[in-house]
Formats: sequence, C-alpha cells, structure tokens
Amino acid sequence: MAITNLPKNPEIHRIPQPKFIDAIRWLSSPSPFQKSFITSLYDSDYHTPSLEIHSLDPSKTLTTALFSWTPPSRISSLKSTPSLFAASTFLGSLHIFKTPEEMSVLGNDMSDLGSKTSDMEPVVSVVGREFHVGSVGGVDLMEGGSECVTVGEDGRVNLVVERGDFRRVFDENGLVSYSAVKWASPAEFVTGGCGFGLQWWDLRQSSAAVAQFKGNWDHGTTSGIIHSIDINPSRKHTCLAGGSSGTVFAWDLRRPQEPIILSSIGSSDTMTHPLSESEVWEVQYDCYTNSLNSNISSSRILPAMICSEDGILAVIGQGEEPTELLAEPCAINSFDIDNQNPSDVICSLEWESIVILSRP
Amino acid sequence: MYIGLVWLVVRFRNWHLDGYISDEIFSLIKVKSNQADSSASASGGALSQEFCFEWDHVMEYSKDIKELLGNPKSNYDPLIEDPKEVLNKGEEPTSLKAAWELMEMFYADKLCQSWFPERLVDWLADYDCLLSGDQPTVHSKLVDFQGTLVTLQVIEDDPKYWEVISSALAIGWLEIVVKLLRLHGSYQLDQLGHRETENGLVETVAVLISMMPRMRLELKNGKLGECFEAKPDFMKAWEKWREQITKLDSSAFWVPCHHRQTREGLKNLIQIMLGNTKILCTATDHWIELYISHFLFIRPFTVGFEGMYNLAQKCIQMKPMSSPHKLLRLIIGIIGENTEVVLAECSRGFGPWMVAHAIELLTARSDLADILLHKEHDDIGGISMEELHRLVYAQVLTSHFLTWQIAPVYLTSCMKQGMSLLEFLLYRQPAQHNQLLLKNLEICRLYDLDHVSSNIMKIAGVYHWKHGRKGLGVFWLQQARDEFLLNKIARQLFDSVGKSISSESFKQWEGLIELLGSESKPAGSLEFLHKYRDFKKSLQQACDRKTLDAAQHAADSLMSLMKNPSTPQRFWLPLLYDSLTLLSWPARPLLNVSQTNLLLNKLQELSMASVRPGFVASDLPAEALNSVRLALATNLGRAILEEQ
Repeated sequence: MAITNLPKNPEIHRIPQPKFIDAIRWLSSPSPFQKSFITSLYDSDYHTPSLEIHSLDPSKTLTTALFSWTPPSRISSLKSTPSLFAASTFLGSLHIFKTPEEMSVLGNDMSDLGSKTSDMEPVVSVVGREFHVGSVGGVDLMEGGSECVTVGEDGRVNLVVERGDFRRVFDENGLVSYSAVKWASPAEFVTGGCGFGLQWWDLRQSSAAVAQFKGNWDHGTTSGIIHSIDINPSRKHTCLAGGSSGTVFAWDLRRPQEPIILSSIGSSDTMTHPLSESEVWEVQYDCYTNSLNSNISSSRILPAMICSEDGILAVIGQGEEPTELLAEPCAINSFDIDNQNPSDVICSLEWESIVILSRP
Repeated sequence: MYIGLVWLVVRFRNWHLDGYISDEIFSLIKVKSNQADSSASASGGALSQEFCFEWDHVMEYSKDIKELLGNPKSNYDPLIEDPKEVLNKGEEPTSLKAAWELMEMFYADKLCQSWFPERLVDWLADYDCLLSGDQPTVHSKLVDFQGTLVTLQVIEDDPKYWEVISSALAIGWLEIVVKLLRLHGSYQLDQLGHRETENGLVETVAVLISMMPRMRLELKNGKLGECFEAKPDFMKAWEKWREQITKLDSSAFWVPCHHRQTREGLKNLIQIMLGNTKILCTATDHWIELYISHFLFIRPFTVGFEGMYNLAQKCIQMKPMSSPHKLLRLIIGIIGENTEVVLAECSRGFGPWMVAHAIELLTARSDLADILLHKEHDDIGGISMEELHRLVYAQVLTSHFLTWQIAPVYLTSCMKQGMSLLEFLLYRQPAQHNQLLLKNLEICRLYDLDHVSSNIMKIAGVYHWKHGRKGLGVFWLQQARDEFLLNKIARQLFDSVGKSISSESFKQWEGLIELLGSESKPAGSLEFLHKYRDFKKSLQQACDRKTLDAAQHAADSLMSLMKNPSTPQRFWLPLLYDSLTLLSWPARPLLNVSQTNLLLNKLQELSMASVRPGFVASDLPAEALNSVRLALATNLGRAILEEQ
C-alpha cells in the first residue's frame, strides 16, 4: 500500500457497542471539541431498532445517548445535513428530524445532557402504502434545502417536502428496484439499483430518467447491486458509485457509456488485484485526501473513500494505488467523513463497534 | 497430526462464568489456516524439526488465546507503597483463563517441564482466589487478615498473624511472608532496644525465607528466592539452605526470646521449611495447596510429572472436599492422564468454547489422546471427537444472530459434517433483505459454495417476484442463471407486456429491459423483451423518418424476432400487425421472397394453433389476421417481381 499521502498513521479509537449498528453519520456541531453523531441501532435480542444521538468528547469516550427514538422498524438508510437528518425504514416509512444544533440544544447548555437520554420526535414522518411498499432503498436530503428524495425496492421514486407531503416522481411498479439515491443539484438526482444500473433524473424535464447507465462493461456473466452513490457539488456531472464485487466506478454524464472504473474484479485495469472482492457498502468523495494533493487536474476523478464487507476502509484515486486505512476481521458496514473536519472518519463494524479515525 | 490447523480465536466481552456465549460478542477471529501447512512442507523432512515446529505453533496458538481471554493481572505498582497492604488488588482473574493456563502448562509448554512444580506455584498464586467457595483458601484468609490489620495494636500477639504467615509460606508466597514478618512489633524503634534477640530471630527467618533456592529460570519482579537452572546446583544450594535452617532451629538464641507467640510462630515456620508433613497439612486449606507445599518443601527435586497422581490422591485424602471446584476437578483429570475426563470436565465446567479449542492442546503431546480424539467413531455418525466438539460449538454460535457468521470458520474445519451443516445453516437464513442476503452470499463465496449461493439467489428471486418486485426477482434469478425459472416467470411477464406495452408505458419497462442487458447474460425467454423493445424503437423511427434505411432496419429486426424461437407465439400476430406499414412500404418491398414465405408459414402455424386448447388469443381486431395475410401476399408478389 502506498502511504504517500499519509505520513503518519491515523489515530484509531474503538468503541464497543451493545447493539448492532446499521448506519452511522456525523452531525454538525458548534464546537470542534464536542462532536456528535447519529447511529441507527438494532438490538438483535429483543428485535428492537433505535435511533440514537451520541456526543463525543476529545478523549473519545462515549456517554449515554443524548437523544433516542424508536422507529417502527429497522433503519435502511440514514443521511444527515447540517440542519436535518433523515432515516428510512425497512417497512417503507421516512422520518425527518432536526439536528440537535438546529433545536439549539447542543452548545447552549450541555450540562443537563449526557446524564440521561431525552426523547426526540421527527418533524416529518411519511408512512403508509401510498408512499413505499417494502423497504426504502435509499434516501437523500438536499444540502441546505428542504427536499428529500426516497427510492425503494418497489421501484417508486418519491419527493418529500418539509411539510410532510410527498410527490411521486415515478413508479416502476416493481419492474425495477432502487437501492441508492443522491442529489446532484436542486433539480437533479441519481439513482442506482440492480445490474449496476444508474439513472439520472431531472425534475425539470420528463418524469422518467433522462439518462440510463447499464453496467455491462465487464462483459461478464455476473452483475451486482449499487449500494451507494456520491456526487461532488463542484463536479455535479460525475457521480461515484460503489456496489457488489468490489466495484467502484465513476459515471460521467458527458460520456455516459464510458464508466471510469476505480476498482473492480473483472477490470483489466493497471491494478493487479482489486481492493476488495466483496460488497462495497459505501462510497464518499474524500475531500481530505483531495486537499492534500491540490494538483489533481479537473479531468481526474477525485479521491474516494470506500468501506467493504471484507473489512476494508480505504481511499482510492484514479490510477493510483489505494491507501488502506483499516483492515478489520469483520465487515465495515458504513462510514462517514466529517464535513466540518474531513480528517475525522467514523465507521461502524459488523461486530458491534464504532471506530473513529483521526487522520494526521 | 497438527497440520493445517485452523486457529480460531474468538474474544467475548463480559464472558459469563458459565462459559457459554455471551450475548455481547465482541470481536476478533484469527484464522491462520494453511500457514502451518505451507511451512511444514517447505521444511520437508527431519522428524525432530517438524516436532519442534509443531510444538512452537501450539504454544503460539495458546499464547494468542490467553491474550484474548484477558490480560494478566495488572501489576499494580504504587509510588508510595502502603506497608500494611499485603495483597495486591489486581483484576479478578477468570476461571476460564485459569483453566486454559492449566491445560497449556500440562500439555503444550515443554519448557516448563523441568520446573513444573514452580509453574504450579505461580499458577496458584494467580488463581488461588478463584478456589475459595464454601471452604477458605490461603488467599481468602489473607484477605480477611488484611481487613483486620489496621485495627490490630500488637500484631504478633494475634494467633491469626502467625497462622496466615505459615499458610503463605507453605504455598510459596515468600514475598508476602517476608512483608508480614517485617510488620512484627519488634521492628518498631521504641521496642528495638529491649526486644533485640527477638527481632534478630524474626529477621534471620525472613532472610532465610527470601534466600530459598528455587529451581526455575527466573522470578517475576518482586518475587523472592534464588533461582537455579541446573539440578545439581539447585541440590547443592538446597542442602546448604536446609543446613542453615537446622542450625537456626537448634540455636541458643531461642532461650532468651520471651515472647511466646513469636517463638512458636517462628519455630512453626522453620518446621514448614524443613518439610514437616503435619504442620504443612494444618497450614494449608485445599488439597491443591497441600499438594504444592509438598513440592516446595518435601519433594523439591521432583522433575516432570512422576508420581504426581499418587501424591494428589494422598493430598485429597488428607483434605477431602464435599464439592470440588471445577478447576480442581480439571486438575485431577489432567494429572490422572485421562483425556476423556479432561474433556468432560472442560465441557461441564467451561462450556463448548473450551472443549472446541482445548483439543489442539490435548493432542499436542500425547499420541494416545491424538488417536482418541481423531479416531472416527461410528456411534457419533462417523466423525471424530474433535469434529464433534467443533460442531457443538459451531451450533452454539449459530443460535445467535450476531455470532452465526463466525460459525462457518469452525464448520469448514470439520471434514465430515461441517460443510453440510453450513449449507443447512445458509439455507435457513432469511432472504428478504438484500443486505443480509449479500452477506450470506459473501460467506458462500469465501468457502466456495457456489451451488449454495445459486440456490440462495433462486430463493431470493422467487421471494421478490412473489412480492411484486419483478425487477429484483429477475435480477436474482439471472444471477443464479436459472433459465428454467426465468422462462417460467417470462410467461407471466408477457401477459402484462401484451396488455400494457405501448409507447408511453415503455418508460416503465425500460429499466427492466436494461437490466436484462446484453446477450451474454442469461435471460431465458426474457431476452425477447429486449428485442421487442428494439423492434418497437426502430419501427417508431421508420414511421417518423420515412426513410428507406430506417424502414429496412425495422424490417430486419422484425425478421430476427420472428425467426427467434424464444419469441412467444402469441406475439406473432401483434408483431406482424404492428408492421403493416413495413409490409406495404411504398418505395420497394422490404422483405424478399424467402423471408415473406417464412412469415406466411408462421401465420399458417398460428391459425392451426388457434384451434388447439390453451391458445391465447390476442386482443387485436378480428380482421387483423386477414389484413396481415393480405399485406404479406402483396409483398410476396412485389418481391417476386423485384427478384426477376
């Protein structure tokens, strides 16, 4: 592994948890010393899901949850913005919450908190068979905006506005299932699903997807599912996607049939072996590594961080050797890069623990 | 033998005392399989070499496990030592670790054989606190005494003081003895003057104790005694030390010592050091304590395991117990050299984890145990004891959501029944959620269970199909390459296609058709959908552009559809009816004679099929068949003319 970008190894803190962690996200906080994050948990003994906000002091010890809420079923997807966070469930409901900062609780008076857990309530809840039937595959909140897009296994694409109303953008009637979604601009978003398929939607144009990408570049006989999509606001025409068989690629809307493959089993790329051979659960552009090599030309794909079923957390760049940050004996199911301080990464492990990395 | 050993280490947080799986399983599996294999074949040869190699690896394995079972007692080392604190308050050790160390000591660690009794002394020093149940132990007596220490005015008057000192000496806790002796009142400055002789005797005994020769490699920091590696040196030193004690015993200084308790207490200590059986017996509580005192003071030259079992029996007779502690039962099994008893005690006292992991240790030294544990027994389904215990432990793991993913590691090391159990286990996992499903498929991939993964995918495909998620259903069936099922669901799919496909609703189908993708992917008769969509597109273009090229292209794709055996019969007429404009293209005939004949034949076939039962009539107007026939006939005529 090339460790050119990271002269020192990152600081790693492991925090064991009593429950299974489905997803984890940083929440923005007013003070860099008092970070907080949200986790969706699942207690497999009692089959009870929960959503909890924890705060983290500089010594990286975890206090009792600041806030908690019991969702109607397990959380399938979790996204956060500075003001809101949204959680979708296996039963097809969506719940949007204000962040503690927005509720002006954090930062003002922390002394009452930390000793006991308060309840929180969603500001918006959308439930019912009209909305989604079956698991919601992905949810994304617009940065700074109020619209939230959800996609489901039932093939529905819904747009939820803050008041709690939703608008059906499209209904595939189950002919296609979606598993990931990401806003590209206030009017555009990208969805992903089976067969490494990606769809580009433009709310200003027709109701159906305006561009389709079919993932049969490898000409192999197996295919996979897209698990995660990321789009950098500065390059909104390019979307980054990760999915089965260690596949990570970028799809440039300007060259829709030529994906740029960053990692894949079948690729005949310069890489001798793929970074991972199993599911890539999450991908995110890594603005931290990006800021370290400022000379990345605009035509190159920005460095991306991935986590995988075989326990790898790594940063990969186009045509570069990947940098492995963690190699765990169990799966890394989700991670999040702190927006305010991109050197900090939080991730959740299959065997009930949270790992916090602080890169030097 | 020890080749291809899979090293399995699972660490649990809050390991419950009963040794069963804690709900809060923590982390870490180490699989070091085949590592042994490859290096063994590389060394290729000398038996002794292989033997050493084997032994080293067992020790390494054992070390890994010990590390995971918990760190050694934290050596609590305060800057200012409390003179009244006799016992270090470390973390409470677990009996699981105690049992593991015991097994390691007897079965795996060949280095400790020459100083075995001392190893046992160390073991008891670490774990004596675990043995106190209904019966007191030296440790519990020391703890009790420490509690009263602060309140005692004249310590040497208390019979308890002398009692705990002699107990601690009997089991070799020399540093505690010396520390307690130096709490003796005669050391106090105001008393030193008139108790000079008494103090001299106490100090002499303390010094003699701290000089006790011990046959061992080294002593941990803070422990007392003088180490000897070679037996002759040790014997010489021992004789000399004994001489000094005897000399002190018959010294004239005892007479001017007026403090009765001190005199008797010290004499008692001297008797212990001289190996007085009766006094050793009163000084100790458990038989294992007595047993160890025998090694220390009566049979100091014991090497290896000679006569250990007889001695143990003797000690048990002298210190009978109503309900022996599980660790003590395990010790009896081990020194009785009875592998079955050891296994039974492991399983009874420490649970399936212990049994599954201890087998590696049990077979390390003894060929007999190796045969016993690796022999296949017919009465347990033709598997060996080793496999049986691994299976049992794997089943415990599978019973919980969080631990079941670890079970395959054990199951795959079971040659006979492991794989079939693993398959069964994988089939039993729910298929509803793709994420969980993918995790199961990953396990299949890791263990080369391709047939299982394709079955799981089929199950998932059918599940999603039945729940209305047609796309996911098709995807999983495609992944499983199940053409049979794909063909089956194709028929259902065509029903809805036949009704709903129009240029508008094609948008909905677009996604599914994209999924069906290129021809390299198996799609069964669903492949038709893909071609149908292409045909519809080119037909649309032909009608819009009205160019000959576009029309010819559309006609070609019509032909390829009609020729293709996977095109369902019920689509023949609608296809031809849609293409009426192509059949009567004004510029020139688009189909040649043979092509038109083929289409006419198809039409004939269709009208014959329509009288058979099970024919699905299309919902086209009644004159559709006639108009197609007419158009084909016209085209045939034009084509014949053209070709002439």
